[in-house]
Amino acid sequence: MQSTEKILLEFDPESNELLPALKKISASFGYVNKKDARKIASYFSIPRSKVFETASFYDLVSVRPSAGLTMQVCSSTNCVVSGAFAVIKEIESFFNIKVGDKNNPNVSLEEVSCLGRCGEGPIVVINGQVHTNVTASSIHGILEKYLKN
Amino acid sequence: MSDNIKIITSHWDKIDPLRIEDYVEVGGYEALKKFLDYMTPKEAVAEIKTAKLAGRGGAGFPTGEKLEMVASKRGRRYFICNLDESEPGTYKDRMIVDKSPHLLLEGVVISSLAIGAEEAYIYINGNYKKQLEILETAIASAKQYNFLGQHILHSEHNLEIKLFSGAGAYICGEETALINSIEGNRGEPKVRPPYPPQQGLFGKPTVINNAETISSIPWIILNGGKKYSQIGSSCSPGTKLYILSGSIENGGIFEAPTGLSIKDLIYNIGGGMQKGKDFWFAQIGGACGRLALEGELKTNLDFSRNCECPLGSGSILVVDKSVNIHDLLVSWAGFFARESCGKCVPCREGTFRLYEIMKRLRDGEISDRDKIAAKDILWTLENTTFCPFGKFAATAIRDSSEKLKVF
Repeated sequence: MQSTEKILLEFDPESNELLPALKKISASFGYVNKKDARKIASYFSIPRSKVFETASFYDLVSVRPSAGLTMQVCSSTNCVVSGAFAVIKEIESFFNIKVGDKNNPNVSLEEVSCLGRCGEGPIVVINGQVHTNVTASSIHGILEKYLKN
Repeated sequence: MSDNIKIITSHWDKIDPLRIEDYVEVGGYEALKKFLDYMTPKEAVAEIKTAKLAGRGGAGFPTGEKLEMVASKRGRRYFICNLDESEPGTYKDRMIVDKSPHLLLEGVVISSLAIGAEEAYIYINGNYKKQLEILETAIASAKQYNFLGQHILHSEHNLEIKLFSGAGAYICGEETALINSIEGNRGEPKVRPPYPPQQGLFGKPTVINNAETISSIPWIILNGGKKYSQIGSSCSPGTKLYILSGSIENGGIFEAPTGLSIKDLIYNIGGGMQKGKDFWFAQIGGACGRLALEGELKTNLDFSRNCECPLGSGSILVVDKSVNIHDLLVSWAGFFARESCGKCVPCREGTFRLYEIMKRLRDGEISDRDKIAAKDILWTLENTTFCPFGKFAATAIRDSSEKLKVF
């Protein structure tokens, strides 16, 4: 089992290592919680507010626990031209949820910005796994696989 | 005209990108050897200036001048390769890493040594995980060959390259925001001046160049700046990676000289429109780019200030008449609302309200008051925001209003 202390020791307590450390901790535990923030603050000798100031800015660092099933759909130009909004609508009706709702502990669906895979859109990321060329009809099969596990 | 000249893509798919031996065999790192054996840093910078190489990230700032500003400074300096590519529709830098990572590294080494930096950063988009691994491997093998590290090829030059993976923020492609991000701060832009060449990373003089710009440098060193300056358009010469996408027959990445017209790109390189699709407009340079209608297809694209449609990142999205423009408007407005860093009010509130209005437009609930408000917001974004992000956010939506008359 990895601990926050162990992860922190991989980094030098210099300002340019703060963001990499936050990313690693967020990826390992799902998010940066208050306890971890205190440890990070003392390790880097910065106020705890500074830890959250930086952490809350970036998409790849989370400051609140994530849902059991997290889905992200790229809604940038190229993916939209190839039908990303239809995919979003399908997912919304499949789970009876709304895109952007952060209060459901089981499933969450959000729109994200370009992931640099514009040739293969629409792009859907489910629990970190990237799915390419998703369509409104193919999304059902993908979602069912996740529900089985 | 040297139409078929390939500078960045010359080895793509011909060599194994992960094997440094392959790259060396086709003449890789020869430019570095030439630089170390026959040139002074000053001469190298002068060569890049002669080439009139312009920044390929989109702004088109003369690279040679930037390098010169920092080369003349004393003390610690930094070189940063900007690989935080997050413009929608743009994935050229990712492809450079995928296909020819050592070309990029060679460019980074030459640029860093030319300005006297002993430490360089490559700031890579946080979503590019595979590319991060490729670069890690490439850096390790370059070190084995002594193209990096202490006393590079027995010269007195030292260089260490650090990889810094971003954390998913569009604004970090802006150079001062990128610096903030490396320094462990929120990725918000800083006041300019001072510009990074005066006061950049950790307060030291810093050059930040786009990965594509850097990848052109080995060729310039080997073949001379004069030869480079004769390719493509006269004001911003050289070749450019174009990313063609949308309702086009052959989408993908192509290298071609600058100064081509949009028509050339769509019909000669891209193979024309897909069957049964009618051209409506093309967006040039990503989500922040201008829209070009049928009548503007003859415009030549380059980086000059007076170019109607600036080339930007080089992405060309072709939109046909079957695409729902309201979806696109919501996509643009949503993208900029999400990615606004929140530092200044006009942008934070403006992009957010614009997103709301665009959603109402899509749902058929737009009021006259909304339309007036949208115009006010566009003006505010264009004229009062802290950094160019506001202008980017307004461009496509203003063009939709004025050229396509959608609201």
